[in-house]
Amino acid sequence: MKNKITILVFMALFQFTSMVAQEKTVTGTITSSADGLTLPGVNVILKGTNQGTVTDMDGKFTLMVPDNATLVFSSLGFATREVQVGNQLVINISLTEDLEGLDEVVVTALGISREKKSLGYATQEVAGEDLNLTNEQNVLGSLSGRVAGVQVVGSSGASMGGTQKIKIRGVNSIGGGDQPLIVVDGTPISNANFSGSDQADYGNLGQDVNPADIESVNVLKGPAASALYGIRGQYGVIMITTKKGKKGPKDINVQINSSFAIEEAFNFMPLQNEFGAGSSLSFSTLANGDPYVAVNWDESWGPRMDGTPVRQVFSFYPQDPTYGQLTPFVPHPDNIKDYYETGYNLNNGVTVSGGNENSTFRLSLNDTKIGGVEPNTYLNRNNVGLDASLDLTNNLIVSTNVNYATNNARRPQQGSEHGTGYFVQWFQRNIDMNRLRDYQYPDGTYLSWNVRSPNTTTGEIANLNPLYWNNPFFDAYENTSEDRRNRFFGNVGLRYKILPELELSAFVRSDMFTQNIENRTAFGGRRLPAYSVGKYENQEMNYELLAQYTNRWDDFSLNVNVGGNIYDRRYSYLSMGTVGGLSAPGFYNIDASIDRPSTTSYLLRKQIRSGFGMASVGFRDTYFLDASLRNDNSSALPENNNSYWYPSVSGSLVFSELTNWETLSFGKLRASYAQAGSDLNPYQTTMAYGVGTVYGNTNTLFVPDNLNNPNIEPSFAHSYEAGIELRFFGNRLGMDFTYYEQKNKNQIISLDVSGTSGYGSSTINAGLIENEGVEFTLTGRPLQTENFHWDATFNISRNRSMVVELAPGIDVYTYGSTTYSGVTSYLNSYVGQPFGSLIGQAYQRDDAGNILLDNSNMPLYTDATHNFGSVLPDFTGGFQNTIRFGNFNLGAMIDFQGGGQFFSRSKMLAVRTGQDPITVAINERGSSVRDPLDQGGGVRVIGVSAATGENVDAYVDARSYYRNVVGRRIYEEWLYDASYVKLREVRLGYNFGESILSKTPFKTAGIALIARNPLMIWQNAPKGIDPSEISTGSQSISWYESGQLVSVRSYGVNLNITF
Amino acid sequence: MKNRYIILLLVSFLVMGCDKFDDEINTNPNLPSEASGTQLIANAQLWLPGLSSSPQGQFLAQYLAETQYVGVSLYPQQSTSFYGYYQGPLMNLQEVINSESLSGVQGPVANQKAVAKILKAYFFWNITDRWGDVPYSEALKGSDNFTPAYDTQESIYNDLFLELKEANDMIVSGSISNDLVYGGNMTKWKKLANTVRMLMALRLSEVDPAKGKAEFIAAMEDGVFTSNEDNLVFRHLEDANNQNYWFSQVVNQNREWWALSENLVDMMKPVDDPRLSVYGDPARESGEFIGRPYGQEDNLGTEEHSLLGSDIIAQDAPVYLVTYAQVLFAMAEAVELDWIEGDTEELYKEAIKQSILQWTGSDAGLEEFLNAAGISFDGDNALEQIAVQRYVHLFMHGYEAWAEWRRTGFPDDLVSPAGAAVPTRLSYPDNEAFTNATNYKAAIDRQFGGDDSIYGKVWWDN
Repeated sequence: MKNKITILVFMALFQFTSMVAQEKTVTGTITSSADGLTLPGVNVILKGTNQGTVTDMDGKFTLMVPDNATLVFSSLGFATREVQVGNQLVINISLTEDLEGLDEVVVTALGISREKKSLGYATQEVAGEDLNLTNEQNVLGSLSGRVAGVQVVGSSGASMGGTQKIKIRGVNSIGGGDQPLIVVDGTPISNANFSGSDQADYGNLGQDVNPADIESVNVLKGPAASALYGIRGQYGVIMITTKKGKKGPKDINVQINSSFAIEEAFNFMPLQNEFGAGSSLSFSTLANGDPYVAVNWDESWGPRMDGTPVRQVFSFYPQDPTYGQLTPFVPHPDNIKDYYETGYNLNNGVTVSGGNENSTFRLSLNDTKIGGVEPNTYLNRNNVGLDASLDLTNNLIVSTNVNYATNNARRPQQGSEHGTGYFVQWFQRNIDMNRLRDYQYPDGTYLSWNVRSPNTTTGEIANLNPLYWNNPFFDAYENTSEDRRNRFFGNVGLRYKILPELELSAFVRSDMFTQNIENRTAFGGRRLPAYSVGKYENQEMNYELLAQYTNRWDDFSLNVNVGGNIYDRRYSYLSMGTVGGLSAPGFYNIDASIDRPSTTSYLLRKQIRSGFGMASVGFRDTYFLDASLRNDNSSALPENNNSYWYPSVSGSLVFSELTNWETLSFGKLRASYAQAGSDLNPYQTTMAYGVGTVYGNTNTLFVPDNLNNPNIEPSFAHSYEAGIELRFFGNRLGMDFTYYEQKNKNQIISLDVSGTSGYGSSTINAGLIENEGVEFTLTGRPLQTENFHWDATFNISRNRSMVVELAPGIDVYTYGSTTYSGVTSYLNSYVGQPFGSLIGQAYQRDDAGNILLDNSNMPLYTDATHNFGSVLPDFTGGFQNTIRFGNFNLGAMIDFQGGGQFFSRSKMLAVRTGQDPITVAINERGSSVRDPLDQGGGVRVIGVSAATGENVDAYVDARSYYRNVVGRRIYEEWLYDASYVKLREVRLGYNFGESILSKTPFKTAGIALIARNPLMIWQNAPKGIDPSEISTGSQSISWYESGQLVSVRSYGVNLNITF
Repeated sequence: MKNRYIILLLVSFLVMGCDKFDDEINTNPNLPSEASGTQLIANAQLWLPGLSSSPQGQFLAQYLAETQYVGVSLYPQQSTSFYGYYQGPLMNLQEVINSESLSGVQGPVANQKAVAKILKAYFFWNITDRWGDVPYSEALKGSDNFTPAYDTQESIYNDLFLELKEANDMIVSGSISNDLVYGGNMTKWKKLANTVRMLMALRLSEVDPAKGKAEFIAAMEDGVFTSNEDNLVFRHLEDANNQNYWFSQVVNQNREWWALSENLVDMMKPVDDPRLSVYGDPARESGEFIGRPYGQEDNLGTEEHSLLGSDIIAQDAPVYLVTYAQVLFAMAEAVELDWIEGDTEELYKEAIKQSILQWTGSDAGLEEFLNAAGISFDGDNALEQIAVQRYVHLFMHGYEAWAEWRRTGFPDDLVSPAGAAVPTRLSYPDNEAFTNATNYKAAIDRQFGGDDSIYGKVWWDN
């Protein structure tokens, strides 16, 4: 139950200008129907006017009213009630707690507030406190599972604010670039991503929003909801509304929020602990007969780790205490785990908010410090936010919202052959990680685990430079990657009420950031010393003018918006890298480049000018009809074809108004149709040459690989949507069902074409991609007693994307490819098939499905043309629970995905390099597969000989089988189902009661235990790979895993105080 | 309830979009919109070393054996892309050939076009020899044809002969600038055109000797290489931007992954071939030249086998592509084939001499070598001797050596690692099955019975 004091904070928003003739005075007391307590702060409005009052601390009100007046009683969190005054002089009523907010007001496109019931399309809102349950590093990741139709593919917490990809209603764009627009208080902000698929994951920039500032997030799905954002709203809009100060009697609130959590690495891939480094079961020996470890191998196909005394890598360093000594060859089962540290996440925030009769004010400060689980990694983030408004006159309001964020991080490397993902890919099971931690001897020599073979005659290793891999601690402390970002976004606006019904507003909105990225490669490692630095600057301005007209006549309500927007973007960067090495150790500067450094300076400019109009008509609060029209003019399109129009129309019917069936609290049908137009990035309509390598004094130029297109046209997405919303039993049970279809026509893509045309790809208007799907949300309060509430929200959605048409003569679109050891796999889309098929090498099979074998009984494989089917999930969803009992509250968030698949390079390589347990399995003959074939070892292979057609049931050498064939070329073996059910967040909180607080200066105080990522309840993919965290870098579709960072979970405590 | 109609005057401001933008806004400031012909040619020339510098070529000729990550040398069935050549050098050259606005400031336009034609022919020759039928007459047309049909190798050869002849004939006096290989010397370009034509003609020795003979003689008459000075060599620089592939692999990335093959060392070591100490280093463990058995999967071999020589892996090592010694070997063979008149033995000896001069910079050890058993000329075994010595000469240009092996069958002792015979072509790029499916299928049906196998045979190989 809301307590009185906090309710007081929510003072009335109404200002009284004058009073019309009154004929009598009505008084009353308002109570809550649930507990009978009086309710302060309830708005009491004379219907049809803006006159009214607010109940006092004791829930009492007094108001002068005309004879036949109707009073409207409303308060946040309660169902609004209307009462005919008639002859009454005292009106004592109770308000019912409103679980869903029947007259819920939602923020729609361009920040226009609308009653949710009037909308003809699906939106879904998430409260800020739900998003900020456990201090997710990247706040956008908190949306996972909370909104039907919204899929979030995240990255490990070890990345510290790494990429969280959001996909609304599946794949809408053939090119996959279908990230929704993020809007904060009406200001579109960049959600760009500077990460590649490998190396540091800098994360998407949307995370610069301070989570503590978020009042609510409203997800507008599909173009219907976002036609008013034009091009950029085509893939949906994530509207973030921030908290504001409150108008009313002068009041100041201070809130302090502190949390501390420890983070730990977990979910390690199981590996074998029987065989160590090398390529054969026996040790090589030095001239003196000492056996030595195959230090030049980064695989574990070597001898059994049975404690045999051997020369280990450390014994070849004259500086090492074990120099020249034999030490037992034993496994180190936790050697990967030993690398990681316990990280922490410390978050401190203060907000000061307040207001008086004509102004509001809110200032927030937040400081986040994260120490990663990988050594020498951190993220420091600071946010400062200010939101203020001032009524200059009764009709003129000036307001501003400014946000400043800094990010300063040193992040771990990830991905194929970068960072620590290689531990499971290429490593020795016998390495003692703790011996590597001091990676430098006192004389400056670096210690490595992977060096050249010793000279058997001398017994020495002359060159102790790392061979293929650096000591991971050397990488962590010497080869660092640092990024810094300064971000500013916000707006300044004026709103002028020309008439009570007509408001004009003008806003200037800005989003600017400077991103710095710096990478160092130190002397003494396996790579040439190098330094690279990049400075990326983005400035986006939006100038916006909007006229809003709202009125009611009897049964009719009307809302008209007419506006214009100018979008102006300027993006530039300078990026430089040394070439050929550095001139002096420790001198990390472009000036240190031995050869001509690589340099790029880049400038992008783009402008879109738009005009739009929208009208909404309501009849008897039951029938609603909306229509909109927008015109965009894009500077990126060819001049003769750069202006285009698109409409939308939607309607809804609140049929619960038409029936008296009491069980049904609310019922609404809705339907909509919308178009959204889209353009492309600049500079793709004219020819330009590429700048090639400079040879001596010759500057070379080349014809680029992508063929630009001067005839490109804007593309359009057409969407159709219908839905029904039902609530029963006084809103205790609710459901929402949506069906939608979206046709994306003339999509502008860079289509891969046969390179023999002279170009690798061409910018074209291609085809038709169709999406259809359903979304279902069930909300309810299954249990409710005086002291106990259990609220649950379950959502599930399913989306199918089909490629209907591409371009004449071309029926395949290659979204991406990845090559390793000369073997490529692709993500292709075929005409007539679901989007996103994984293509790669499979077993060759006969008609009966038997695997075909070559003359050595090794499996034969196909070219990389086998279609393994779509990577996209069948359904995704979430299950959110909140339980309140007394002063305790418990929240738990589960999200899940069914179907979808991905290719795991880590798993493949773990097998290839003899680290996976499968490579030490006991075969059907009762021997280790690693034993020699003539001693009962080997892997059993069953198939058909391709040459003779005869059945084969034979044993083959395990190393040849796993290392050269199955673990290298047969991708069929390494595809995994991406289904999972994950407990993402748990929070147990306690709010101190009034009896305690009254003795303190605090208004509220709460403490909570939080756990993030505590448990993967179920997954189909093998342990050690988290299918919910395969988002590496900026690829918008996750279809392969190639060295994901270790999973991280955190436990902590959160303290929240206001005074 | 009272209602009042309110008469509104809605004054709304509408910033209607205007579709006229600043002219400059969509002009790319980051890239040039114009390129000179010679800059495009120079960029195409940067692709020349790639025709030779790849492990795959060395494995197909079995010059090198893999030491640690044994895989590609086992001849797996895998596709190899030719897209890079089409999108890279060939499209640049085609742009020059098509251009109607070349500037004479950088040399006579005819010469720019002739050089573009010669290089285009040279790249296409390499491509068709590796893959067989490939898109040619319909290729490089951009949006006019995104799905070019495959031309037969025979028709490609025929057209390349014509193109090379035409290039030879169109050259006028006056050098061109930005020429990375011949410094603008048009006489050398003429010689290159005719030399390529001559070597191409020899490829037809089995499939169409009459045509081969005619083109061979015609090319000779137009003037081929006359010394090592004429060689087509790409000279890398002591500059990481323009460095040798093998330097970046072996030196920069510590990849001592390649040892001289046992076949090669056993061919050279017993006869004290002066080139051996350039090709490789003695094994670190024994100080002896020891080749590594090709395709062997065990035992690492970096200590006990000869790795690549320091000249081969130098940062600025030259890459020999078309050489005078090849011309002499070709002429020696042509004499044996009765295509031309001449003294086989003299040509054979001169070819070896020029090869040794090319590789070692001196003729030290030449006389002893020419008299060594098996090396001294044997008229009854001339074709094999010529082929084997050409093989030794073509070291590190494995693709060319492999083509000559396919044509002549020499050397005849290449091994079959893990039972896999030496391939006879490269498999088409995977992507062709996606992006050019109909033509791709027609090509493999026509040539190889529908199987894009590495064991299909190209037209001239039968």
